[in-house]
Amino acid sequence: MNPLANPTAQAVDNVLIYIFGVSLLLLLGITVATIYLVVKYRRSKYPEPTSDTHGNLWLEAVWTLLPTLIVLTMFWYGWTNYLGLREVPAGAFQVEATGRMWSWQFKYENGRTSNKLYVPVGKPIKVIINSTDVLHSFFIPAFRIKRDAVPGIETYVWFQSPETGSYDIFCSEYCGLGHADMITSTEVLSAEDFERWYAESTLATPEVPRGRKLLEKHGCLGCHSFDGSSSIATTFDVLKGTKRKIMSDGVEKEVEVDAEYLRRSIRAPGADLVEGFPPIMPAYGDAINEADLDEIINFLLNGEQKTSLDGNKLIEENGCLGCHSTDGSSSIGPGLKGLGGRTSEVKREGHELKLKVDAEYLRRAIRDPNHEVVEGYPAIMPSNDHLSDEEIDAMVEELLKK
Amino acid sequence: MSEKTTYTGFWQESPRTGILGWLLTTDHKRIGILYLGCIITMFIVAAILGLAIRLELIAPGRTIMDAQTYNATFTVHGIIMIFMFLIPSIPAAFGNLLLPIHIGARDVSFPKLNLLSWYCYIVGGVLAVTSIFSGGGAPDTGWTFYVPFSTQTNTNVSLAAFAAFMLGFSSILTGINFVTTVHRLRCKGMKWGRLPLFVWTLYATAWIQVLATPMIGITLVLIILERTFGAGLFDVARGGDPILYQHLFWIYSHPAVYIMILPGMGVISEIIPTFSRKPLFGYWAMALSSLAIAFAGSLVWAHHMYASGMSDLAILIFSFLTFIVAIPSAIKVFNWVSTLYKGSIELAPPMLFALAFIFNFAIGGLGGLALGAAASDIHLHDTTFVVGHFHYVMFGGGGFALFAAMHYWLPKFTGRMYNHKMAVIGWALLFVGFNVTYMAMQAVGIMGMPRRYYDYIPEFTTLNLVSTIGSWVMAVGLIIMFANLWHGLRKGRPVGKNPWGGATLEWDIPSPPPMENFGEEDPVVTKGPYEFKGVVADEY
Repeated sequence: MNPLANPTAQAVDNVLIYIFGVSLLLLLGITVATIYLVVKYRRSKYPEPTSDTHGNLWLEAVWTLLPTLIVLTMFWYGWTNYLGLREVPAGAFQVEATGRMWSWQFKYENGRTSNKLYVPVGKPIKVIINSTDVLHSFFIPAFRIKRDAVPGIETYVWFQSPETGSYDIFCSEYCGLGHADMITSTEVLSAEDFERWYAESTLATPEVPRGRKLLEKHGCLGCHSFDGSSSIATTFDVLKGTKRKIMSDGVEKEVEVDAEYLRRSIRAPGADLVEGFPPIMPAYGDAINEADLDEIINFLLNGEQKTSLDGNKLIEENGCLGCHSTDGSSSIGPGLKGLGGRTSEVKREGHELKLKVDAEYLRRAIRDPNHEVVEGYPAIMPSNDHLSDEEIDAMVEELLKK
Repeated sequence: MSEKTTYTGFWQESPRTGILGWLLTTDHKRIGILYLGCIITMFIVAAILGLAIRLELIAPGRTIMDAQTYNATFTVHGIIMIFMFLIPSIPAAFGNLLLPIHIGARDVSFPKLNLLSWYCYIVGGVLAVTSIFSGGGAPDTGWTFYVPFSTQTNTNVSLAAFAAFMLGFSSILTGINFVTTVHRLRCKGMKWGRLPLFVWTLYATAWIQVLATPMIGITLVLIILERTFGAGLFDVARGGDPILYQHLFWIYSHPAVYIMILPGMGVISEIIPTFSRKPLFGYWAMALSSLAIAFAGSLVWAHHMYASGMSDLAILIFSFLTFIVAIPSAIKVFNWVSTLYKGSIELAPPMLFALAFIFNFAIGGLGGLALGAAASDIHLHDTTFVVGHFHYVMFGGGGFALFAAMHYWLPKFTGRMYNHKMAVIGWALLFVGFNVTYMAMQAVGIMGMPRRYYDYIPEFTTLNLVSTIGSWVMAVGLIIMFANLWHGLRKGRPVGKNPWGGATLEWDIPSPPPMENFGEEDPVVTKGPYEFKGVVADEY
């Protein structure tokens, strides 16, 4: 037990102490009375009984009524304190917990996800519990709270920690092979630490590409937009491969947007005019050096680089580590260490084959895990339909480096 | 003396000779012995599995088996112990041996049905054992078969569920037989107020068996339908409800724990008066509290589900009803202890087991209060505290009552006495080992260790180690006890009619009893079951 003075633990401990206390007294009474009577009325001392009573109505009435009163107080005390576990204080911070075989995923209101439950100290926390597969149960012994995660039904618990620290979260409803490994923790952080953590995004801090910086530097974005919002100049959002009608030397023709066209348009904008826009763009001539021009054209053609996703974080937050170890130890699923150079023996539709672990294989293994199952492991990994292609790519990239 | 050693009663007298004399017997005593043999075998098998579970848990991480084997082990341990040992143990074995004799009858009402019931038990047992070694491997769902896991796992759940279904049939048939027998076959003078308490508890139990067992039959069939045809009854996405399954399961399985404990209470109510030579204190309170437990116990099933997501109103109601069941149990304990007052107490082996029963059952029952209260159950639910509590009631209660019954009545049915000193040694080891094992288990549960855990965090190591060591002490106690009984009941000193000085009818007939129990004349009863005046214990 944890001596933590938090509201839910106190509600439960009050009842536990009361019931265990009274029970201990009763047990002591019964045991002492039994031993006393057995010793006192032993046959060697009393060869024949000294009473042949069949009962005593008054005594029996007393020990019917007395236990009735005692257990009714236990019932009522247990019930009223239970209500304290159900009534969530107003303004509670809300987190969704999803149980699946065999990890928890936590989702916060700002969209952040994690595999540990991060919460601010001193604030009531409401955890909304769900399951994607079988029954699980969300249990934090330190806060004495527990509720089953039932597929298709939402349940909840609440708690509030007066101190920072790390507290175990167990799954207490048997859920198969990895039941005992479905352990994570709730990390109670100070208000500042929590704010900092909460604001971090799963997305890596985007680095502004140099091409875009050059566009800004040369003032292009004064007239051009990325979303078609400007009426005085063309939009940059989709350029590559598109065709557009231009006026070249008074002749209307259709050209494909390629590097050559863009180069001309920047060096000498007046040469080819896009229909519908005024001929006001200044000619950059030699004002941009060749290297910078290439950079700009590359940026324009290949679009704004997608900010890169953090594969490691995705691996952690999606609960992969619940079954796959990263330190080479054996677990429920194959370990991730040294995955890049490995050759795996897998079973596909009953046929055994050897596969080199590459990006393509890993993508399949995440999307449709039980299509090819590694020898010696059960076909139990859940499929990951909620992940986008980009997210899977980011994860695969990290997996190959492990 | 020489006459006694050649007389073997129902062991020899039979319309058929040899093995068929047993396999086709309709004699309630022979059927009782058949049950007893099977039940003890099943107990030994499941106890070995239990020791394996404890050994695996001696330290964190893998010790002797992998996680899948562990999950199958505790599942099979539970299924065997509950469906093949505890439920039939006292009612089917000792109920068959004694119920007709206790009421002065020559057999049960439907002797052939009685044999059919044993065959249902055998078929169920064979299917259960088959499910371990065939199909997708031993079931790994826990004995509760909770959905949706039980509908998804590839292991042999359907066969195991069907096995439990057959065992349920056996239980229903025995129940019908006993209810009818108690109503129709009491001998002259055997008024309801003169029934031994053992008969009252068997009668209450039989009603539960008849009324509640069909529920588990239906529920297990639904599991099979769900697995085979994807019926969707318990699948939210298709309009079903996984919590509905839990209700269906516990509507039987909670009353079932009273099937397991009530006859045990009956055994204790026989033994304590005999070894105190004094009438049972509060006969009617004891008789009616048995019926009250059977009735109220049928209304408390959802106290297994406070954390399931069930409504708070339901929790209020079921918590209240649960505490009501505690009252008749408390009355029983107080009345047993009061029976000792001003008695003449002999600490013979059956009495030691009976006293151990009271202590263990008191701990189990009082622990149940913390599980019945809504707030404290939220913390304790699904931890090893529940496992410890359950073993206190079922093993410390039901199991010890069976051992008490074996030490009390088997000399009657074999005509021979075991060694008392060895019995006391076995009892002491068993009692100490038992309490160490399950008290440590309860303590680690209060710390927060969930049940059905293959592996655990380092904080839980010490108590798990203590519990495992306790299980070895218990195992030594069991070996000594069984060996002593086996040896004594075959080769021990012959006993007369009434070695303990009991006052119920079985002590008036020869040991072992003859076929049809009573000689030419039907017995006529003129006094209550606990009138010891003038009853003299035979020397042996």
